[in-house]
Amino acid sequence: MSATQILLSQATQISQGAEAAIYKGRLSDSGLDEEDVLLKYRFHKGYRHPTLDASLTKARVAGEARALLKCLRADVNVPAVRMVDALEGVLGIEWINGKSVRFLLGGGAEDEEVTEEMADGENLPEDATEELEDQLLEYNVSSDEVMTMIGTEIAKMHLADVIHGDLTTSNMMLRLPSPSPSNKTELVLIDFGLAYISTLVEDKAVDLYVLERAFSSTHPASEPLFAGVLKAYEIRMGKEWKAISRRLDDVRLRGRKRSMVG
Amino acid sequence: MEVYRYQQFPSHLATVHVALFDNVTNADELHARLIRASTLTGSEGETEREAVNFAFIDARLIASIQHLKAAVYHAILAATQGGLKTKSVHSEIIWTLNPTNNITEALRRYGVSASSSSLFVVRVDRPLDGLVERLSTIVHGTLVPLDSLKDMTNWDTIKKHYKLNDEPAIRNAAGDKDVERRKIDRIVTSSVATKIVMG
Ligand SMILES: Nc1ncnc2c1ncn2[C@@H]1O[C@H](COP(=O)(O)OP(=O)(O)OP(=O)(O)O)[C@@H](O)[C@H]1O
Ligand SMILES: [Mg+2]
Repeated sequence: MSATQILLSQATQISQGAEAAIYKGRLSDSGLDEEDVLLKYRFHKGYRHPTLDASLTKARVAGEARALLKCLRADVNVPAVRMVDALEGVLGIEWINGKSVRFLLGGGAEDEEVTEEMADGENLPEDATEELEDQLLEYNVSSDEVMTMIGTEIAKMHLADVIHGDLTTSNMMLRLPSPSPSNKTELVLIDFGLAYISTLVEDKAVDLYVLERAFSSTHPASEPLFAGVLKAYEIRMGKEWKAISRRLDDVRLRGRKRSMVG
Repeated sequence: MEVYRYQQFPSHLATVHVALFDNVTNADELHARLIRASTLTGSEGETEREAVNFAFIDARLIASIQHLKAAVYHAILAATQGGLKTKSVHSEIIWTLNPTNNITEALRRYGVSASSSSLFVVRVDRPLDGLVERLSTIVHGTLVPLDSLKDMTNWDTIKKHYKLNDEPAIRNAAGDKDVERRKIDRIVTSSVATKIVMG
């Protein structure tokens, strides 16, 4: 067995997606200062040709690691990179002690989309904002502050021309306040598996649109929340905002047309 | 000295010994000795190379123990995959620390030089006994705890090598030294871990 396979076998699996399995582990088994890492394993896909599979996997792992590094330089809150084994398809990143925004918003478990009736209907389970406030007590931040943090992090990322490619509330976490790296609650963007570099207004607008859709499909009555995200994004983007805002309107229109046809 | 165990690596690469020396007085001799060892031939050369078979790293360019351990980890990983870019796992640690692919530059910046006064000494091997005694004959200086690093790091040089001065992470720290150092550390540690796929 390869070193990284042994590492995985000693780690604890915490989830299994279509593309990757997620583990919590430690690179070394000695030293009190040894911290937890999250290991994201892009396993071999049996349906793909082995050579093609290996090179695709390598490119995905490399791409995710490079996007994280670019974000770190751009001062975007993302996990630090701890280990890269592109040959084995494993990326090791800093473990973030906290919960996903999706969970904190009462969005339930992963893959549990709110149905159309629930999203539009009268009998909403609970007011999203109130739910969030309860969950957030431990984090010592208000829901407005969380929305501001989301908008600000996305703006810093877009200013560095990184497009996330999969902005959802599951792909952002609130990190519990701890002495390091800072002593306040932080919003951390995760899952850069689909990230890429682009300067195009269109790509940034679509990134935002994907998040807007994610908010409305996962969290009922989310309009005011998402408005808070956009407001903070606008402030941070400065003069870049105007063009993106206009394009976001276009993208929304295209989205509506598509859903009327489809 | 600290010892780190990595069960996932083959036993001859699974134990990492890390010592930190301050007030080093023989850096120039040590540097000359390493150069000579690499050129000696025959059994004399082998004996001498074994005697100095360590990574000697200038502590000024190390941001944290995590940073150093990231380089060690990826050097060992490369060794297990037949992917060493340099002659040994010890020189590979130094190569991994440098942001460019130039090994001569890596050695000049991160290896021991005449101006080094604080040094990390790393040995990747099986668990070894009597290493501290052995090292004290090679490095003339004071063995200090690894957390003494915090007074040795030259942050400005690290920023220069990694071209960090104009990055938002540094600019946004707005002169807050603690924040800035934490960010530099995160960036350089992540860079070391990512180096192999940076192309
Ligand atoms: N750095 C981290 N620290 C702690 N937990 C994390 C971290 N990164 C991810 N997670 C958790 O693991 C889950 C899956 O991670 P990630 O989204 O990166 O993988 P993925 O394979 O792309 O998953 P999915 O397909 O579900 O989006 C996240 O939703 C989050 O709950
Ligand atoms: Mg995800």
